[in-house]
Amino acid sequence: MTRSAEIFIPVVRTADLGVEELDGEVLVYDLERHKAHCLNGASASIWHAVDGERSVRAIAQQLPDTPEAVDAEAIVWHALAQLDERHLLLTPLPDDAPTAGGLASSRRDLLKKAALVGALGLAIPVVRTIVAPDAAQAATCKEPGMACASSAQCCSGLCLGSNVCA
Amino acid sequence: MTAYGVPFGVRISDCGLWAQIEPLLLPGWAVASTSYVEQMFSLVVVDGGYELFRGADRIAAHDDLHLVLDALKSEVRLWVAEHSPQHVFVHAGVVEWHGRAIIVPGRSYSGKSTLVSELLKAGATYYSDEFAILDDEGRVHPFALPLSIRQVGETASTPALASAFGAPTGREPIPVGAVAVARYRKGAHWRPRRMSRGEGALALMANTVSARRSPTHALATLRTAVASAVVLKGTRGEAPATASQLIEQSERAS
Repeated sequence: MTRSAEIFIPVVRTADLGVEELDGEVLVYDLERHKAHCLNGASASIWHAVDGERSVRAIAQQLPDTPEAVDAEAIVWHALAQLDERHLLLTPLPDDAPTAGGLASSRRDLLKKAALVGALGLAIPVVRTIVAPDAAQAATCKEPGMACASSAQCCSGLCLGSNVCA
Repeated sequence: MTAYGVPFGVRISDCGLWAQIEPLLLPGWAVASTSYVEQMFSLVVVDGGYELFRGADRIAAHDDLHLVLDALKSEVRLWVAEHSPQHVFVHAGVVEWHGRAIIVPGRSYSGKSTLVSELLKAGATYYSDEFAILDDEGRVHPFALPLSIRQVGETASTPALASAFGAPTGREPIPVGAVAVARYRKGAHWRPRRMSRGEGALALMANTVSARRSPTHALATLRTAVASAVVLKGTRGEAPATASQLIEQSERAS
């Protein structure tokens, strides 16, 4: 079914997430996927503004410090696409969302437009992500081929029957 | 016994082994006031070798005692680091400079110990070359076991005391002053980018032992730890030059 970008009302996921705020950024831990995300100031503003009632246009109107000549809605869509890609939105993006060309092209377009209107300091929404390590990955361990007696000794998490780390 | 709030036991079938086991345990371990343990590790002498158990599971068997003792050390440290209810263990090197910690997170073989040893030579105080142990207030506690120094091209390490580098060892918990996310590349110069504190917390999370077991506790602790820290990220070259620059940069930022 086609959903229209015009009437799209985004909703962020709240279940199974751990959330912390720091210096205007938002740190999110996805308890289902074991991924940690850092939403920079621009994406954090949009994360907070997404309340399940406002459309993209309404959210864009509330964005702080956006020069008039810059397409604030494009900024919101760029943030939403990143949240969607990381499973942090409950509502899938509509098929006619302007970010359909992909995140890289959406970011390129934003930077190009910002440069054209001289808004080089424009804050582009960025969501950085890591996969949380297994305990053994985050501890002192041995490289493949080194002698071992138990799997906890190996960076790979596997001590082979021949007593060397995989 | 107990360490960092985790009650655990070590059982041995030959009491004569205790003298070799005790130095392998975590610093600060103590005899527990109750007999309750969350995990029991058992080292059993069998015909022709040694077997190591975690609970009822046999996790290692070998005729080389040193290899089995090394496995016991890894198992106990990993268990405590993952299950501590009071502390968050981040795989990192840590030194103190002017009352604040410089944390260098990173995986094994990323050059942490080498960089820490150079920071010590430059006048820093030793805290750890293995774990930054953070409490709920975000302060770093010392985990001052001997450094594991690897020579170029070698995979095995040799232990070295901080005093061998002319450095004292820290005793008190301290706040975090800087987080340096440094990746080694031969010939590179350390010209780090300043990152946001959120990115700093993320970099620490990527090296946190309990990241999956207690993610919300870990995230809250890391957030508090970096709340007044400068976060630097870049590619570094040789450790001596990086160490002096890093000290300068963290001093300038504080």
